[in-house]
This record gives sequence, C-alpha cells and structure tokens, in this order.
Amino acid sequence: MAENAEKRNYRGRLHDLQKDLMNDYFDQMTRSANGEGDPSVYLLISGNPVELLRAFDLLPIYPEINALQTAVKKKALPFIQKAEEIGYSTDNCAYVKADIGLYFSGNQAPMAKVPPPSLLLTNYVGCNVYLHWWEHLSELTGAPIFDIDIPFLRTPDGEPRPEDIQYVMRQLGDLIPILERISGKRYDPDRLREVVELSRETGEYWAQIKLLTQLRPSPFDAYFDAVTMMGPLYALRGTKEGRDYFRDAYLELQQKVAQHEGPLPEEKYRLVIEGPPPWPYLRTFREMFERWGAVFVASSYSTVGGLWEFGFRHDPANPLESVAMHMLKWNLTNRNFLQRYAQLKSYVDEWGADGLVIHSVKSCRLFSAGQGDMREYFARQLGVPTLLVESDLEDQRYFSPAQMRTRIDAFMESLEHHKLVSHG
Amino acid sequence: MLYRAGVDVGSTQTKAVIVDETGTMVAKVLVDTGSNVVKAAERAFVQAAEQAGLQREQVDYVVGTGYGRFNVTFGNDQITEISCHAKGIAHVNPNVRTVIDIGGQDAKAIKIDETGDVKDFVMNDKCAAGTGRFLGNSAEVLNLSLDEIGERSLQAKVPVRLSTVCTVFVETDILSHLALGRSVENILGGVHSAVAARVVALARRVGVEREVALTGGVSRNVGMVHALEKHLEVPIYVSPDAHFMGALGAALFANERAIAVAG
Repeated sequence: MAENAEKRNYRGRLHDLQKDLMNDYFDQMTRSANGEGDPSVYLLISGNPVELLRAFDLLPIYPEINALQTAVKKKALPFIQKAEEIGYSTDNCAYVKADIGLYFSGNQAPMAKVPPPSLLLTNYVGCNVYLHWWEHLSELTGAPIFDIDIPFLRTPDGEPRPEDIQYVMRQLGDLIPILERISGKRYDPDRLREVVELSRETGEYWAQIKLLTQLRPSPFDAYFDAVTMMGPLYALRGTKEGRDYFRDAYLELQQKVAQHEGPLPEEKYRLVIEGPPPWPYLRTFREMFERWGAVFVASSYSTVGGLWEFGFRHDPANPLESVAMHMLKWNLTNRNFLQRYAQLKSYVDEWGADGLVIHSVKSCRLFSAGQGDMREYFARQLGVPTLLVESDLEDQRYFSPAQMRTRIDAFMESLEHHKLVSHG
Repeated sequence: MLYRAGVDVGSTQTKAVIVDETGTMVAKVLVDTGSNVVKAAERAFVQAAEQAGLQREQVDYVVGTGYGRFNVTFGNDQITEISCHAKGIAHVNPNVRTVIDIGGQDAKAIKIDETGDVKDFVMNDKCAAGTGRFLGNSAEVLNLSLDEIGERSLQAKVPVRLSTVCTVFVETDILSHLALGRSVENILGGVHSAVAARVVALARRVGVEREVALTGGVSRNVGMVHALEKHLEVPIYVSPDAHFMGALGAALFANERAIAVAG
C-alpha cells in the first residue's frame, strides 16, 4: 500500500542555513531587548514593507513569527492560557493570545527575548483583530501606533485604483519622518534603493524557487519546506544575508532537480494546500501526508507575505511605489475571494496537482471565512478532489491527531482509488 | 473455501464480520469497545470465527477499520471507515449514492458511485452534536435505555425545541423542559429532531443524491430514521446489517486484497 511509503526526511543545506540565520536574527532581538541593538518596529507579515525599516537600520519584529516559532516548539500553550486568565476569550486569535501572554510573562520567548516596540506599524488592516492587538500592545508598552490604511482589492479586475496607490504613497510620506525620529537617521533615498534592489534580487530567487515545484518530482515540499524559507524571506529581506540565502537555496534546489530528487523517495501524489499550518503539530501533520507519498507542490499560505511567483518584484527605480504595490496588490490576504480561487486553480492546473487540501484554522476567521464555499467550488464545480480539515495554527488543544488522520487517510484512499481506476 | 474478516473498532462498539470468497457474510459480531481497544478487536474477531464455525487460521486476510483500526494488531491492512462504509453499502444496495453514517462520536456524509467509490465526504468536527453520544446523554437524563428512545420519540405530538446542540448542555436543557411539564415523548421528539437537523446540514454539504442510506450504530434507532426522513424529505434505506456496514466493507476489502495478493 502507498501508505507504507519509505520514510526519508528531506533536510538540505537550506534548512541548516535558515536555522543559523534565524538564530542570528533572534540574537539581534535579544540584544535590542537588552538595550544594545537597533530600535525595533513591530509589523505584520501580510505584504510586509520591511524595506522601509531596513533603510533606517530599524530591527523588524513580527509578533506572528514569534508566536509561530513558540508554537512549533510546543511552548505556546502556557502563554495562551496566561492571556485567557487575564480575560481573553477562548475564541480569540491564538497568535494574539500567545503574544499577549508572552508580554505578561516578561517577553522571554523560547528563542529570544523580545524587545519592546519603538513603533507599532500596521501594514495590513484587513484583520480587525490585529488592529486591536496593536492597540493592546500600545496600551501596555506605551509605544505609538502608525496605521497604514491599505484599501482592500475590491474591484472585479482585482487591480488597485490609481487613487488607492496615491493614498498609500501619501501615508508612506507621513511615515518617513516618524521612522527618522525613531532611528535618529535621515531618510536617504539611495539607501532605500539599495535595500529595495536586494529585495528585488531576493524576490527573483524566491520566485524561481517556487516555480521549481512545477517539475516532477517536485524538489521540495512547497508547504512544509517553504515555510522554513519564510522566516528569512520576511525577517531578512532587504539584507545581503537574506539575498545570499535565497541564492544558495536556489542553487541547492536546482541540483536536486538535476538529480531528480524530491523530498520523498517516491512522489506518488501532488497536492495543493490552502490555509496556515498547524504549527504545534507541523511534524505530525507532515507525516500524515508523507506516509502516502504525497508532496505539496504549492501552498497559498506561503504567499501571505508576497506573491512573487506570480510576477511581483520590488523596483529600485520606484522604491516607495513598489513597497506600496506590495501591500496593496501583491499579497494573498489583501486580495478578494475570486483572486484567491484563481490562484489556487492555477496551482492545481499549472503545478499539476491531484487534489486540494484546505486547512481551516479556528484562530483566524478572516482566513477561514469562505473556505466552505471554496471546498464546494473546487469539489463540485471543478471536480478537483478536495479535503477540508480543521484545527488551529497556534493552540495545540484544537488538533486531534486521530480525527485528523482519519480524514486524511480517507481522502488519500479515494485518491489512490482514482489513480488505480484512471491507470487501468 | 477461504474466509476474510473486517473488524470495525468504533468509539463505543466493535464490530467484526467474516465473508467467504464470494463476499457472502457468514458471521457478524458486536461487542462493547470498553477501555482495552486491542482486546475488544480480538474478542470480536474470535467470536465471529466461532459463530461461523471456523478455525482462526481459516481467515487468511483481515482489514481493520474505525477509529481504532491501528489497534487491530492481527490486521493485514487498515482502511478508514469512510471507505469501508461506502464499500459495504454498495455491496448490499448498489443504488445508494449518499451514505449517512452516525456512530457513537462522529457523523459523516459520504457521496459514492455505483462501485462504492468515495466521491466526497464530510465529517463532524470537534463536536459531538449530531452523534450517537447526544442521544445517549439524552436517554441517560431521562433514565431510559438507548433501545427505547427512538420508538418513544415517534409518539411526540409537539416536539420541544432544544435551546442547545451541545451534547453536555443538552442535559440541563432536558431537565428544564421536564420542569416545565413537557412529556418525555415531546422531549425525545425534540432531541431526535436536533440531531437530524445537524446531520442533514452535514449531508447537504456533500449534496444529497438518492438513494440515501443510513449506517452505523444509530441506524437501529427508528426515531432517528424517521426524523432524518422528515428533515431530508426523502426515504432512507436502512439495511438489516446497517450497524455492521463498516466491518462488512472492511471484510470485502480484505477479500479483494487477498485475491489480488494470490494473483
């Protein structure tokens, strides 16, 4: 049976390098927390404008990354419970609770001491809960908030209107003096261009990497291995180290392509996945698919921070405008449903997938809203075998291994049957 | 003659079925799962072999299914109950296109084709509303056995409207209806209707196509069959072996695989 596929974990140089780079980044966080490093600015993953911070030598802090790193280490629950003791509802986003609980536990995360923010930047307003998260942090730390109001893509063609772009550009103009004040550095357009050029090169490598999974076998898992690369993509974009990492990763993966090597000994099924991973059970969740020889060739979650594989590049000739376009147009979460459907459909078609898995998370109603319709659209209208499973991205109490496994096994059994029938 | 078995280890009950090479059922056994899942699987299998008058060795292929499928330590393969219920029902009634399976702790709707191939399925998630447990808790509060609640629910004249679908809070809900002087029959009518509404919502997510079959432990409850028919507005097919459908499907898979292995 397929489910007894031989187990071999893919762990390449890109995994080890990622670990080293992220450890350095976390060390910078600890130094900043101890008053020795650069001032920190908190920002959100969705379409993150990290270039603006790098141009002022400000340290970007993503509370979402801190929360998920804590969850991967299965250390998030005490923080979540701390927040619930204070009064946060069980239905609240668990990223928020893990972060607030962390604050009330002295900001000592498993991988770093988290510095207090000098500024709380909202670069994504699609999530109302996130806005309140920043307000709570502002109340607790006294740090100012700067809201960048990013209009949602609401036109049928999914293009931002010219006035939307101007509106965001004007707000970036207002943000610059604040960044000057916090960093104590003058705005230097040449420096920003330099950072944006590094981001452009990073994006180029990342886009090429993500297109490699169209090949058979896919040289890496575009969900479980791709999330490894997302840390450097967001935390280190706009730096030489970040750019070099993606260049090295691309070269390593090209070698794997040349050797016809994938993450599993045999690629039996190619799947697309929608939704954030169940971080506390990442390994378990991965094994549930690996045992069937299933590889994810594309994931929408890895495009929350940017849609490079669909053509986005930062532009050093128009640095501020390309940062604005990143936030407006070139990230998954600011897009409308039809665009999200189209993206998944192109993954199924162009990446050659056998089915779609939707992982719906309790924490994020924003992400999960509409996934029932999405399931129906793919299963009924397009005839793509589709599985919808539910757990959470942060709170381990919502992941039931036995229930999860039954659903995945049943889905894979039916895919196996389809394959047997269609191949005679 | 060679024989094959399917053992369906459910949360509440464990079922074992033995079929001969032609796929004819020669034994079916039902035991309570209890706390030792491995032993329950063993017990059900041994009893089924006895019932058929077979030595253990005469059963050359066993498939485990149900949530405890990996506890069928003597099994050759494990296959989910979703595939097995589909397989079983297609064997006893090839006209079925939608299977509703209500067990002790889960409920599922499965869409199948004439060969029993699973086209789509949905299951309840993280909540026992709409499962056998909801009925079990309700029966317990009313001090009735599971076997009698279905029949009595049919006598409801004005079924109550429960204020909750929560399997835990339904108990206080029932007590408050009793305090208001509502009859046991009317309360049971409400209980069955609440479960039916929940299950029908699940079934509509895969799309209800006739014929519709009910399988799993709850299929023995006539009140539930009636309530589902009322909510779905279609007749429901219930096989005399509906409770054993998962085990039967597993035994049929065992038979197919044993034949394939033998070449």
